[in-house]
Amino acid sequence: MTRTLPALTLAALLLGTAAFADLPEPTGDVLLTVDGDITETNVGDTAQFDRAMMEAMDPVTITTTTIWTDGEQTFTGVPLSTLMAAVGAGGDVISATAVNDYAVEIPRTDWVDDGPIVAYLNNGEPMSLRDKGPLWMIYPFDSRTEYQSEVIYSRSIWQLDRITVRD
Amino acid sequence: MSSLQNMRQTGPSWRRTSFAVALLVFCMGTVASMGWLVLREIDDINTANSDNLQWVLAQADVEFLRFKVALLEAQDDREKLDAVRRRFDIFYSRMSTLERGVAFRTLRDNPDFDQPRAEIRDFLDQSVPLIDGDDATLQAALTRLLGTAVTLEDAIRKLSLAGLTSFAEISDERRENLIQTLFLMAAVLMLLLGGLSLLALSFYRLYRVSRRQAEDVARTGSRMRTIVETTVDAILVCDGSGKVIDLNGSAEKMFGYSRAEAIGRSAITMVHPPDVAESLREKQLKYIGEKRRPDPHERRFETEAITRNGRRFAAEISLDRADDTGERVFVVFVRDISRRKAAEDELLDARDKALAGETAKAEFLAVMSHEMRTPLNGLLGTMQLMRDHSLTERQSDLLDQMQNSGHLLLGLVNDVLDLSKYEAGKLVPEQRPFEIPRLLDGICETIGTLASNNGNTLSWTSTGAPSDIVMGDSRRLRQVLLNLVGNAVKFTRGGEITIEAEELPGPGHITEFRVVDTGIGIAPAHLGRIFNDFETLDSSYSRQAGGTGLGLGIARRLTDLMGGEIGVESEEGEGSLFWVRVSLPPADEMPEVQQPFGDMTGDTGPVPSLSVLLVEDNEINRFVAREMLEAEGHKVTEAVNGRAGVEWAEAQAFDLILMDISMPVMDGQAAARAIHMGGGASAKSPIIAVTAHALPEEIARFKEAGMDHTISKPIDRAELMGLVRAVASGDPLVPSGPRGGPRPVLVDKDQLGTMREMLKAEDLDRLASKFLAETDAVVTDLSAASPGDPDLAARAHTSAGSCATFGLTAMHRALGDIEAAAKRENLSEEALKALAPLWKQSRGALQDWLGT
Repeated sequence: MTRTLPALTLAALLLGTAAFADLPEPTGDVLLTVDGDITETNVGDTAQFDRAMMEAMDPVTITTTTIWTDGEQTFTGVPLSTLMAAVGAGGDVISATAVNDYAVEIPRTDWVDDGPIVAYLNNGEPMSLRDKGPLWMIYPFDSRTEYQSEVIYSRSIWQLDRITVRD
Repeated sequence: MSSLQNMRQTGPSWRRTSFAVALLVFCMGTVASMGWLVLREIDDINTANSDNLQWVLAQADVEFLRFKVALLEAQDDREKLDAVRRRFDIFYSRMSTLERGVAFRTLRDNPDFDQPRAEIRDFLDQSVPLIDGDDATLQAALTRLLGTAVTLEDAIRKLSLAGLTSFAEISDERRENLIQTLFLMAAVLMLLLGGLSLLALSFYRLYRVSRRQAEDVARTGSRMRTIVETTVDAILVCDGSGKVIDLNGSAEKMFGYSRAEAIGRSAITMVHPPDVAESLREKQLKYIGEKRRPDPHERRFETEAITRNGRRFAAEISLDRADDTGERVFVVFVRDISRRKAAEDELLDARDKALAGETAKAEFLAVMSHEMRTPLNGLLGTMQLMRDHSLTERQSDLLDQMQNSGHLLLGLVNDVLDLSKYEAGKLVPEQRPFEIPRLLDGICETIGTLASNNGNTLSWTSTGAPSDIVMGDSRRLRQVLLNLVGNAVKFTRGGEITIEAEELPGPGHITEFRVVDTGIGIAPAHLGRIFNDFETLDSSYSRQAGGTGLGLGIARRLTDLMGGEIGVESEEGEGSLFWVRVSLPPADEMPEVQQPFGDMTGDTGPVPSLSVLLVEDNEINRFVAREMLEAEGHKVTEAVNGRAGVEWAEAQAFDLILMDISMPVMDGQAAARAIHMGGGASAKSPIIAVTAHALPEEIARFKEAGMDHTISKPIDRAELMGLVRAVASGDPLVPSGPRGGPRPVLVDKDQLGTMREMLKAEDLDRLASKFLAETDAVVTDLSAASPGDPDLAARAHTSAGSCATFGLTAMHRALGDIEAAAKRENLSEEALKALAPLWKQSRGALQDWLGT
């Protein structure tokens, strides 16, 4: 752990990104593990996040319907763009994988403001594995019709637990 | 016209076009709605609310299998219990999605899907407490879970199969819908294409029609331009305020302004002199100021125009406002009518001159004839006086010739005077009662001598009611008949001339007089023109007979004047028949007729010498009258005008005053009035008017002036003497009125002259004696007879014939009347009683003549 400190410090110095200069180590259950082409790590070569860490990353709440649920839903989570910045993602695409090993690729073009979020709350409640938790990639489907396509639906991966950033 | 045809042609075309447009609009509407449908379809496809459903379904299968595997592995290895829990949760989550997801709503309504789903749900709900329990509980339940899971495999398979089938159907249906929509879209597009083609066709037709119209318009325009440039009339086109906006070549020439100069100027001030322009603005062209279209009567008028260099000319303006072209313009035609005006003026002048000439000619004729009559009367009177002196036989013959010529000349002059009077419209028909027999008697009497000279017999007959009194203009009728009979006598030698009078049946009391002769007749070619003026047929007789050729022309005019008709039928060599038809309605009674004094010649009693005042301005007339009176032993005082006459009458009492009418200083009427009113010596003396051609109303005026009687010029000696005798014997002078018929005569001396020429003297005496004795007996007999005597008519008839032979006209007629009345059985005793005195007079006259 101490070995990584100089590297992190170096990275923080190089990038000048004070906000994420220091990725804390997760203290609770790890919800998400990010690896691959990233600059910020906290556990080995990966960046791991627990619920508290995500709650500290300026989460947003969006309201939308989905084809998998009934009625309007609110989702609270960290925007993908914020998350990618936090890990210093260098690649152009991420490979998101679910607990059941469902995997999907999301290109960098989707990591935009008002784009998808990595939701950890549905209607204010944490999501269990039975309820497609703990994390669900949610696009604001209702705000943009481009998000109502099968490609986007396939990228809306639920039971998400791993992200690999690739070139 | 062509534009009207075009209008008719374009009608259906426009209808077609509007139909096409309507169709097009409909098609476009349909396309729009189709488009909307398609867009929605696209949107549906686009939004893909299905996710990858097959994947989700298949994944349920997979997750279940994984769960089962996890169960199997956990039986052997307790460490794998967490994996069981995770697999369960994943499977659970998958089923929740199927149960709650919007995309699977349709599936849930399908019982094939719902039944296995419920089965699985039961399993899940039962399993949750086991899964969520502690490891020991789960470990204990593993076998049971596995057993249940094995039985559930079939349900899972059914579930995914039902889902797949259902989605396939939905997918098929959606494809079907899409295909249908696309087909519909294609059909509508075809329709649209059709509509567009139709519209294009229609536009093409419209284009052709309008091109034809444009050509027509161009043609018409070119024709109009030619017309406008060819006409000699100036044509100006002005705007609503009267400013010239266009003009033709003739206008440039007529007014001397070039086109560039004229355009923009006020037409009124350019074309008219200032004074005329002012009045035009106020009157004829006031509608320009009033900004209205001229009424039809205001569109044409004559006025005065002026050229650039100041020549004024009469112009005819014709203009109207063209309102239908959007902008309101006046089109003005100006025509130079100065030549026409000049021609009209000349014509008017010529007509006035001609009329004046005609009047002058008529006046000249009237004056000349009148002036010629005065010396002629002098001549004739003087010749009559010469007979009072002893003449040798030779001299007497010469005098006869002179008198004949004189009378002929007088006749001609009277003809011309009549004609000119008629032409001057001075003749008016009279309506007075008269007797037709008397009229015809008079004519026979007048013409008798002439007839017998040519070896003709002249007689008259009357059918109808000859003694009835009728109303009419006997003087004009007599003149007409005299003319006709005179002609008949002229053109007949040794023949017969008959005058027939007959009242025609039918309304209007038309009496036809026919003058029938057995003379030379008239060629058919000439029949049409003999009633023309100055027409003398080129025959030896006519030359011989002479004359102005006015006779029949005058006869025609006089007949017209009486409202009658005149005509002729003739066959050359056989004779002629002239007829006159005039309306002669019956009159109630005959007015008391003035007994003409000339008839008193038979009254041979001595006449006392009278003092006579002769008022006459003409010296010859004075001389003649004086000679006539003095020859009878009367004392004559002369006065040369009315005033002198009045003076004489005041100073001296005269037995009789003869008063000329038209005189200088004071005319006859004024003089007569003055004498009667003046209370002078002769205030009560009878005054007799002496005049020529006195009209009835004039005679009435004379009477009003106190002149009880009128004698006409030239003075007939016998008439004058009869008058004097009447005054001398103290008989009242019957007020003069119109003569009811021809002057009846007691003795026809011409007839007697003829007898004397035919018979030896002793024979004549013998016959006369016998005649006198016989007639004495007859008259005595008839005077005493009763009107009902059956022999009466026959005896009267015989005696009447004898009387006619001896020229006793009055007796002849009286006996004829008795005969006719006897036949009609309306003979009166008075008629018989009147016979004796008449016979006494006639007998005396005849004996006088025989004695000479």
